[in-house]
Amino acid sequence: MYKYVIRRVMLAVPVLLLSSVIVFGLMRVMPGDALTVLMGESGNIGEKELAKLRKDLRLDLPYHEQYLLWLWQMVSLSPGDSLFTGEPITVSLRKAIPVTLELTALAMILGLALAVPIGVLSATRQDTPSDYAGRMVAVSGLSFPDFWLGTLVITFAAIWFKWIPPIGYVSFWESPTRNLQQFLLPAAVLGFRLSAATMRMTRSTVLEVLREDYVRTAWAKGLGGRIVVYKHALKNALIPVVTVVGGQLGVLLAGAVVIETIFALPGMGRLTVEAILYRDYPVVQTNVMLVAATLVTLNLVVDLTYAWLDPRIRYR
Amino acid sequence: MSGDGATASLAVATAPPRAAARAESISRWRLLWLTLRRKPLGAAAAGLIMLLVLTAILANVLAPYDPLETHPEIRLTPPSREHLFGTDDIGRDVLSRIIYGSRISLWVGLLAVGIGTLAGMIIGLVCGYWEGRLDLALQRLMDAVQAIPGLILALAIVSVLTPNTTNAMLAIAIVIIPGNSRIVRGAVLSAKQNRYVEAAEALGCRHLHILVRHILPNVTAPILIIASIWLGNAILIEATLSFLGLGTQPPTPSWGLMLSSTGRAFMEQAPWLAVFPGLAISLAVLAFNLFGDTLRDAWDPKLRRKG
Amino acid sequence: MPTQGSNGDRSGVSRRQFLRRAGGAAAGLSAFALARPSRSVAQTASPYPEWIPASTKPAKRGGTLTRASAWDPPMLDPRMTQSVGLFQFAGLTSNRLVRYTFADEAAGPGDMGLKGDLAESWTTSADHRIWTFKLRQGVKWQNVPPLNGRELTSADIKYCFEAYAKEGVQTFNFKEIEGIETPDKYTVRLHMQSPNVFVAQALAEPISIIFAREVLEEDGDLKKRCIGTGPFILKEHTRKVKVVLQRNPDYWDKGRPYVDEYVILSTPDAATRTAAFRTGQADFIHVASPSEVEVLRKTNPNLVAQSYFNALTPFGLAMSQDKPPFSDVRVRRALAMAIDRQRQVDTVYEGHGILGWGVPYMYYQDKAPTAAQFGPWWQYKPAEAKKLLAEAGHPNGFSTTLFYYEYFPQMTSQVQLVQADLKKNLNIDVKISKLDYTTYYGRYVDPKWEGLSWGFQSGHAVGLDERTYQYMHSKSTKNFFRVNDPQIDELTTKLRQTSDPKEQRAITKRIVDREFDQVLRLWMPYDNGFMIFQPHMRNGAALALRRTDAYGSPQIARVWLDK
Repeated sequence: MYKYVIRRVMLAVPVLLLSSVIVFGLMRVMPGDALTVLMGESGNIGEKELAKLRKDLRLDLPYHEQYLLWLWQMVSLSPGDSLFTGEPITVSLRKAIPVTLELTALAMILGLALAVPIGVLSATRQDTPSDYAGRMVAVSGLSFPDFWLGTLVITFAAIWFKWIPPIGYVSFWESPTRNLQQFLLPAAVLGFRLSAATMRMTRSTVLEVLREDYVRTAWAKGLGGRIVVYKHALKNALIPVVTVVGGQLGVLLAGAVVIETIFALPGMGRLTVEAILYRDYPVVQTNVMLVAATLVTLNLVVDLTYAWLDPRIRYR
Repeated sequence: MSGDGATASLAVATAPPRAAARAESISRWRLLWLTLRRKPLGAAAAGLIMLLVLTAILANVLAPYDPLETHPEIRLTPPSREHLFGTDDIGRDVLSRIIYGSRISLWVGLLAVGIGTLAGMIIGLVCGYWEGRLDLALQRLMDAVQAIPGLILALAIVSVLTPNTTNAMLAIAIVIIPGNSRIVRGAVLSAKQNRYVEAAEALGCRHLHILVRHILPNVTAPILIIASIWLGNAILIEATLSFLGLGTQPPTPSWGLMLSSTGRAFMEQAPWLAVFPGLAISLAVLAFNLFGDTLRDAWDPKLRRKG
Repeated sequence: MPTQGSNGDRSGVSRRQFLRRAGGAAAGLSAFALARPSRSVAQTASPYPEWIPASTKPAKRGGTLTRASAWDPPMLDPRMTQSVGLFQFAGLTSNRLVRYTFADEAAGPGDMGLKGDLAESWTTSADHRIWTFKLRQGVKWQNVPPLNGRELTSADIKYCFEAYAKEGVQTFNFKEIEGIETPDKYTVRLHMQSPNVFVAQALAEPISIIFAREVLEEDGDLKKRCIGTGPFILKEHTRKVKVVLQRNPDYWDKGRPYVDEYVILSTPDAATRTAAFRTGQADFIHVASPSEVEVLRKTNPNLVAQSYFNALTPFGLAMSQDKPPFSDVRVRRALAMAIDRQRQVDTVYEGHGILGWGVPYMYYQDKAPTAAQFGPWWQYKPAEAKKLLAEAGHPNGFSTTLFYYEYFPQMTSQVQLVQADLKKNLNIDVKISKLDYTTYYGRYVDPKWEGLSWGFQSGHAVGLDERTYQYMHSKSTKNFFRVNDPQIDELTTKLRQTSDPKEQRAITKRIVDREFDQVLRLWMPYDNGFMIFQPHMRNGAALALRRTDAYGSPQIARVWLDK
């Protein structure tokens, strides 16, 4: 096991390096330039000023040196400043990460609260009308573009209830009620989207577990259907479900891009996409690498857990 | 469940000797047919997909107007007998645009998923079959691509290549590749465990022969299931790229563009501009997802071992 | 972003359009008559005034003014950016030497009169090379460290202008100042390199704000702090969240500002901004078309709408006129004759827009230009256009490209209509590229692109010199339309040396005539839209080229809340 852990950790390093090369490369070949946008249509910047700015920002170095410089910055945890705003990236991240964490965590909770009961219901009553209805509800979450659902929700909330989440992010510690008012609706929209995959996974694993011998035995022993489901089946079924939820991080982040834009939340998704659109290389690179590292670490943890549970995997 | 269903299900998981392979592939479609008959949702999804395909093929016959012809004087007309779905911001017929839009959506979906699946399959086959160093390197590359959030990656790729439908497709394809390659690789690895593959190797059959004849059939079921779901996702990603300003170019009638630009901009003055493309997207995505579920129900043995 | 621009002469055009529309509906275009927008358009072309005069009630103090804004300041350094994100409030934390009239003191929306801001009065030498400004006495910097309310002196102005000339996006303007003298604490004397009658106007541009010397010296830049002499103190700037401006209790203009706080909420999505206005989270908002006003009125019947005064259009078809085929004036004229602009006004802008021109018309005539005034090449004459293009050697048309960025949805409608017109009338195939802002902007300002672009002229400029010399002289860095015409060069240079207002108008007219004759910039229809206020907001009206929510933000110092 020890060896296996070492091997897996060693493998994660080249993955992250490759990711960094891809991100770095993509950002450098993108057309357009953060500096010209920054000037705000002034048209008044001379080549000389531009060259000086480039030099200050070290954009005049050859690409490989810029890359190495950036790698060093990442490794030493000092990713530099945003080209566009001049704000240190660590400061931006410290503000943006809690927003996205809260949004995604709430979305996961709300998504699970919707998905697991529907999934169990669907599985225990497979191919009945309630199965179909439940699946339709959950799968419809998959079929709405996030931006459309978000737009509908905010517009009709304003028209029908004369209320929308208060704009102007406030952290939970500052004002819990205001913060929750801001987050519940967007998290519900995002969670609805998330629930589809979770519900499907719950349904199929519960179906599977229900067919296992020990569950059937429990059933045969005369335990009530509900107890069998909750006590035996659900417990075992939830392990892969949790894995799926973990794997949804990427989906959540994509959703966060759109939802944060519509609900005016200053999170990672909005930060990253705006940085791409403004060609703010350091911000994009750092954010994407942060997410990549998180994903890789999560996968690693999941794999190691499996390996720990199932020794056969280690010898593959 | 019928007896031949059970054999077929095993066939997917393990793999048949060559003679049985053809029989298996026949029974697989029969299996699907049986499942469709049993599951109205699946059947409805299949029906919708057929409808979508037919619409795309017959778009020029079905569309009452030229989807690009502008009549600004009748812009934002609500649905009427002349224009069943109303008209858009420059007086084009929304119904005709939706009908032609099915071509774009299918085209985006099929090409993106096609390229993504094919590339993923090749990489997966190569990795799984030969293993070794190449496998190690390619899988790390796949991990690296997968570690970058899909939408961000697609957005970056489209920015680099200049935004249009083809490049959006390419971007989506690249996002799809890693996941597919991993599934195929897994299937290949498990297929290789089987005796007949070992036998074929022992007999000195050429690699390509073994791959195509013995291993590929095992991979098609999981790939088709995933592809169906990705077809839906591709439509959504294209729409989201349009929302972020980097999708299909006007005046191309893409559902995603219609919904995210004019649909949202005029959503209160002319709700039909959003409702119909929105419905088209939702129905198509729903259909592909449900059909994917149905394929899984029909072909995935794990789900069907209920005896 | 050309957020502010221009005009619509509605006094002349709208009645005619109203009749035309009414006639169209009566003529039995049933679908047209059925369409909701057409009806509301017919009603709304006139009901909203272009001008809201100052409130006659005594102003009340207090309250918080809020606005949901599309823009976020990229940074706080006025030397480094002209972004509307910064200037939607920088004119509130800082003053300028001179300013344009405020809405509550103006005679009308087209009032381009100058008033003293930090300067009480100014004079110019006979040759317009020496400009002397007398500062207002007793003006104090905001009572925040490191300035702690010290007095503003002429040395501050000198320091600030020299810094602008040295580095950043305003160097082009401030480099024209040869030397600055400060004979006493309250006098600033500028020596210009060449005669320029428009120096006061240039210093009244919303971007010419006076920043604090201490901040630049302590920080090395102005990226972190925004301290001035203005009516509001910047209390908080949290990126992508909000900007909070607090009333400056020691403001030199006694009694002002009226509101305690002005909060700008960063809200990137348009639908959310609309929802924010509906639910009272925003006190004012800008919308693009009459039908949008109608939609808002359904939920907020008491709103107050001002039809924004269209003085010019910020957008036009920019042609790569340094290369064939657009270097041939016949091709440019053919294009101009083949595009039906009136139809765009009537449909895309719901009858509430202008045909489009680039120089604010108040600078050369009293009334908005009529279609006929633009001359022969600007009438919609497809057959003649075709003939002219054939003469130029393109009887079968040609293929070209057009790239743009969607500033607002109506622009996409226009781009596609232009594409259809050029195809139908001239057999020119236009391939459209809708780009993201950075790509668009980077490509547009670099004079290498080919084909066509949906071009802009910057949104902040109010002054005549900016709108003529700066945007059309072949040597100017802001000449994005790539105008290269000896007559224009000569006229725009002469204009800045002409002090007689009458003569100024005459020269401006000649510039405009030349521009239209040569089709140097192919202007496209535009509508500035509407400023919408909650019923309790007073004195927030927008003036020509000065939108209260954008570069015209200094007006907020005059706003009060009647509740």
